[in-house]
Amino acid sequence: MPAERRFGMDHPHYDWSPLNTRGILRWPDNARVALCVIVNLEHPEWDPPADSFTTPFSGGLGARGFPDYARLSHREYGHRVGIFRVLDTLRRHGIPATVAMDAMTAENYPYLVRHCQQTGAEIIGHGMSLSQMITSNMSEDAEREYISQSVAALTRATGSAPAGWLGPEYGESNRTPQLLSEAGLRYVCDWVNDEQPYPLHSPHGELFTLPVMWELDDVSALWERRVVVGRYQQLLEESFETLYEDGQQNGRVMALNLHPWLIGQPFRIGYLDRALGRMMRRSGVWAATGSDIVNWYRDNPPTA
Amino acid sequence: MPLPPNRVDYSPIIDRPVIKWPNGARVALWIAPNVEHYEYEPEFDGNRDPWPRMPYPDVQQYSYRDYGNRVGFWRMADVLDRYDIRCCVSLNMAVLEHFPEIGEAMVQRNWDFMSHGIYNTRYLNNYTEEQEREFYRDTIDTLKRHTGKQLKGMLGPAISGTERTPDLMAEAGLIYHTDWMHDDQPVPIRVNSGKLVSVPYSIELNDAPLFRQHYEGDYFAEICKAQFDQLYQEGAQSGRVMCIALHPYLIGQPHRARYLDEVLSYIMSHDGVWQTTADDIAEYYIANYYDEAVAHAAQLNA
Repeated sequence: MPAERRFGMDHPHYDWSPLNTRGILRWPDNARVALCVIVNLEHPEWDPPADSFTTPFSGGLGARGFPDYARLSHREYGHRVGIFRVLDTLRRHGIPATVAMDAMTAENYPYLVRHCQQTGAEIIGHGMSLSQMITSNMSEDAEREYISQSVAALTRATGSAPAGWLGPEYGESNRTPQLLSEAGLRYVCDWVNDEQPYPLHSPHGELFTLPVMWELDDVSALWERRVVVGRYQQLLEESFETLYEDGQQNGRVMALNLHPWLIGQPFRIGYLDRALGRMMRRSGVWAATGSDIVNWYRDNPPTA
Repeated sequence: MPLPPNRVDYSPIIDRPVIKWPNGARVALWIAPNVEHYEYEPEFDGNRDPWPRMPYPDVQQYSYRDYGNRVGFWRMADVLDRYDIRCCVSLNMAVLEHFPEIGEAMVQRNWDFMSHGIYNTRYLNNYTEEQEREFYRDTIDTLKRHTGKQLKGMLGPAISGTERTPDLMAEAGLIYHTDWMHDDQPVPIRVNSGKLVSVPYSIELNDAPLFRQHYEGDYFAEICKAQFDQLYQEGAQSGRVMCIALHPYLIGQPHRARYLDEVLSYIMSHDGVWQTTADDIAEYYIANYYDEAVAHAAQLNA
């Protein structure tokens, strides 16, 4: 619906709140930056449902005619090879992973579910599959069912219900936050508009945003904007330096969203490794899962 | 499994039978020049337009690629010769008929060949089963006639295929398919008869997608070296495959050939590199690891 010309946001999900007017957010041990690395395990389908929607970038490579072995198998690289490089890199730097896992992965890759759990990752909801984004094309019932099925698949595969959610390709309709909250989710990573968590309005219990840095998402930087990988390492480091500086006054979150089929390629992983190494050598960095960060924020809200 | 239904069992690279390459090499390196011909006035198959810029012919784009055969190939071959590289060419078979000097130059160097179709302007997607069978007969016969070599593998023309492709390839006696970008080691592909594996090709270390963007030769050299470093490190535990995919019209440009030299100079200065071809990788893998890999994956997915 077109905006009404009045104060504040043109939707009901959260309040207008410029960062410079907020109280002070303190992380554990007065850390300046809470570092969260979200790792996407998502799958494009060979034969997606006829009414599904996805973006042209979703498959990575430019689409070829059916059957597109190259495009689909390039994504599969993440599940077979790339994920292990990424998780190993995070482990070496003492960063707990937050794995956004779609239902298709949860159901078809029990090995990966176990592996992620064994490495201490938090697993969060990531929809049904990469080829099925949430959009306003869905009816409310269809969207409710979609979220419920995604959550159920993860719950069956992992033994517990996910606390967090990242929609495939950050997709939402205009009612998604409410439906996520209704489904028992406690935080969502679709909104890339902040450097601190913030509360969303929800009639069904607390729901927070864990904001991701979209420009640092490897799909945005390396694929859509075609940033050279050495420069990507610099973007990560320069972003971190600024947040580290700003975080001295008021705590910041640096949430990176990474895709193993992309950053997990042999020639790219070293650049991520070096960037994370530079960050983790500093004191005052709290590497944490999405839930750790949101729970801390809830229990220790910003103070004036 | 989803990719595509029932073709590939899931097998995580950290939990597989260990691969030992010949002489204890860590990395099997293969170089894949795409030696191609794009038709001047192709027939549009309604699926993929080879010259989407304008009504055919598109002289700018046609001649840009033809440069590869007239000039670029020879410059590229000079660089490869400096390091005694034996390539596995991704070959449009009609090149052998149109441009015999290129065929002779490749045969003289004892390179291997995988099929890349007949022309790079004729794609498989719309082929009937019988047309596709005939296509394999044609590519096998053409290669044999002009080079004396037995065809063993294929990169689909412009990476095109049908749902039947792996089955029909295996039926025709081919043993590897390089359209799969899913791994750093060969992977068994389930087929109706015979044995077929994917051999890792590269859509990333590939001059065509790179140089269509803003990247240039120095970046190509940087990422090839980074790729090698990572795979070489991992290859100490279990052998890895590294492929560098080339197109003579791109890598043979005067400003780029030097970067191929830089890459090869770096890689070939290492011990533990098995500089080989996709033919040899596929044969070695099938002879030594195929059965074990299939059994291991079946057990893991049971």
